[in-house]
Amino acid sequence: MKRYDLIVVGAGPAGLSAASEAASLGLGVAVFDENAKPGGQLFKQIHKFFGSKEHKAKMRGTAIGAELLDEAQRLGVEVFLNSPVVGLYDNREVLVRQGDAVQHYKGDGVIVATGANENILAFEGWTLPGVMGAGAAQTMMNINRVMPGKNILMLGSGNVGLVVGFQLLQAGSKLAAVVDAAPYIGGYGVHAAKIARTGVPFFLSHTIVKAEGIDRVTGAVIAQVDEKWNVIPGTEKSFEVDTICVAVGLSSSVELLKMAGCEMKKDGLGVIPIIDDDGETSVWGVFAAGDVSGIEEASAAMIEGRLSGLAAAGKLGFVGPEALKNRKEELLSALEGLRDGMFAPKNRGKSQDSTSEGLPVSKCLLANGFLDDSETFSYPGVKSVPGLHPVIECTQNIPCNPCQDACPKGCIKVEGKIIALPVFDEKSKCSGCGLCVASCSGQAIFLVNEDLGDGKAAVTIPYELLPLPAKGAVGTALGRSGAPLCPAVVTEVKLIGAFDHTALMTFTVPSKFAMTARFWKNEVPA
Amino acid sequence: MRIKSHPILGEVKPAKSLTFTFDGQQMLGLEGEPIAAALRAAGVMIHRYTKKRKDPRGLFCAIGRCTDCVMIVNGRPNVRTCVTPLEEGMIVKTQYGAGEASK
Ligand SMILES: Cc1cc2nc3c(=O)[nH]c(=O)nc-3n(C[C@H](O)[C@H](O)[C@H](O)COP(=O)(O)OP(=O)(O)OC[C@H]3O[C@@H](n4cnc5c(N)ncnc54)[C@H](O)[C@@H]3O)c2cc1C
Ligand code: SF4
Ligand code: SF4
Ligand code: FES
Repeated sequence: MKRYDLIVVGAGPAGLSAASEAASLGLGVAVFDENAKPGGQLFKQIHKFFGSKEHKAKMRGTAIGAELLDEAQRLGVEVFLNSPVVGLYDNREVLVRQGDAVQHYKGDGVIVATGANENILAFEGWTLPGVMGAGAAQTMMNINRVMPGKNILMLGSGNVGLVVGFQLLQAGSKLAAVVDAAPYIGGYGVHAAKIARTGVPFFLSHTIVKAEGIDRVTGAVIAQVDEKWNVIPGTEKSFEVDTICVAVGLSSSVELLKMAGCEMKKDGLGVIPIIDDDGETSVWGVFAAGDVSGIEEASAAMIEGRLSGLAAAGKLGFVGPEALKNRKEELLSALEGLRDGMFAPKNRGKSQDSTSEGLPVSKCLLANGFLDDSETFSYPGVKSVPGLHPVIECTQNIPCNPCQDACPKGCIKVEGKIIALPVFDEKSKCSGCGLCVASCSGQAIFLVNEDLGDGKAAVTIPYELLPLPAKGAVGTALGRSGAPLCPAVVTEVKLIGAFDHTALMTFTVPSKFAMTARFWKNEVPA
Repeated sequence: MRIKSHPILGEVKPAKSLTFTFDGQQMLGLEGEPIAAALRAAGVMIHRYTKKRKDPRGLFCAIGRCTDCVMIVNGRPNVRTCVTPLEEGMIVKTQYGAGEASK
């Protein structure tokens, strides 16, 4: 039986961070992952992440995964892929299926970082080919580069549904609608808004009635539900779709922790381990980090991983009490900062009526996925000034601040806590460099010159779809809801390395649409 | 339906074409991809039929967990096609029930 100082199960952000932290303190570390590729959820996440510089904000998930793997390998961590861990027993004995055999390993410490499983939703026709998990759609389009379907209905408006919904558009699929039984959108408003402005409708307080089709999906029927989630007869709507994506939540993958005898508690539909602030479970030397210990975000998973790796090192005598204490405090305070956000465990399920600044959260955003045009000026990122200026439509408490770091002119401030709403400082002078637009993980920043002098306005939007229009192309400007507003001429399309694949498209519209036109469609209005 | 160009991921890296058969029909896939990806790219949706009710099943989780995508590959039933890499000359068949193939 091969022995390691530390065995980590799962090579996602939590597992890789745990391994690196421990290896940097001198532990011999092995990481096992059942996948053929390391990175966990990250290697499917092609969008830019929220967070701060320290949490690798504005990097795409794929790049974060690559960086974590690099760090682990540099520190001498052994990463074993195609190696599902099938058992975790007394005295931290770990059983791993490798090839056709099951190998036994022993860890002086074990960190379980197995992430989460997608929940399933049963409805009439849900087993038909064409109904698939949102994660499966991501694997198909972002890893295998095959379109999951041409015309897709998304069930679930949490962050997974919203992020995968946008990724489907990027893959070239059509998104027929986003449907959720809850009355309000479950994920971040900025993720919803970037879908809504392309014209995709949201049906909240709606559920799926059935998937239609004989031997594959050819359509879907949805209907409105009442407060008790019962279908209201007569409200059915049909969609011609070939694919139904299910994104109705995640449950922690706790099988190994249960096997090891760790004490559990209820969490949502499933259970999570009871852990201390080091991530240690009720079983000595067995830790849980990342989504397996409660669904959060990659940024939190990375810090939790480091905390567990550090604690394991402390327990096994690789680091002195003073150094341990200092590093732990540093990590805990970073975690604390993140956990003020609207999706942190302590805020989950709380009403999202107002921001920590006391500003009302837009009901229209929560119910339809976009800000009502009349509301935008109530947020500190939206102001009307002469000349070119940013318009920051970021209106919920997100643990995120790359917009502030991006601006060389000090136009954007995220003051105090990292979850604070970004403020546009109207006394600053915007140079129009566009770095804020490209660095905003929520695609919520626009540049606007409300009056070019000829009755026209220039609007610059982030654009991550293909094809990129040519300069001079005439199309239609869409409002926040995706409704067509007016003809719009593309005057510039800019894509430089620093923008990391987010193109900046500038179009002109009559001045009266300066503060409402937020998307451009390659269609000439009828 | 392959995604040839992508705003974030760019152009697909060229990969070697592999030939395989699906229920006797000649098909093309790419080296390095799972069988299920080659099938989906060719428009194949049904991987198997269940034993009792003979219901069709297709790709569902794409990470080897749900077993909806199992097929008969080179004569072996219950192969999870979403995590099994395609190989030159593979014989892939729709699976009926626990492992009978149609032909
Ligand atoms: C669509 C989507 C969008 C997201 N967007 C964001 C975002 O913008 N910002 C953000 O911060 N977070 C985001 N997240 C969340 C983030 O990806 C997760 O919180 C994070 O990946 C959790 O990390 P983890 O290491 O705990 O788990 P995972 O990343 O899930 O990694 C777990 C790993 O464990 C392996 N594993 C599981 N069981 C076993 C076993 N028995 N044996 C061996 N290996 C095993 C798995 O193969 C996997 O590689 C998103 C998630 C999704 C699904
Ligand atoms: S365009 Fe450049 S200067 Fe203007 S607000 Fe954005 S980052 Fe600052
Ligand atoms: S505006 Fe700033 S805080 Fe809001 S999502 Fe964009 S980068 Fe993050
Ligand atoms: S699709 Fe679930 S195991 Fe292959």
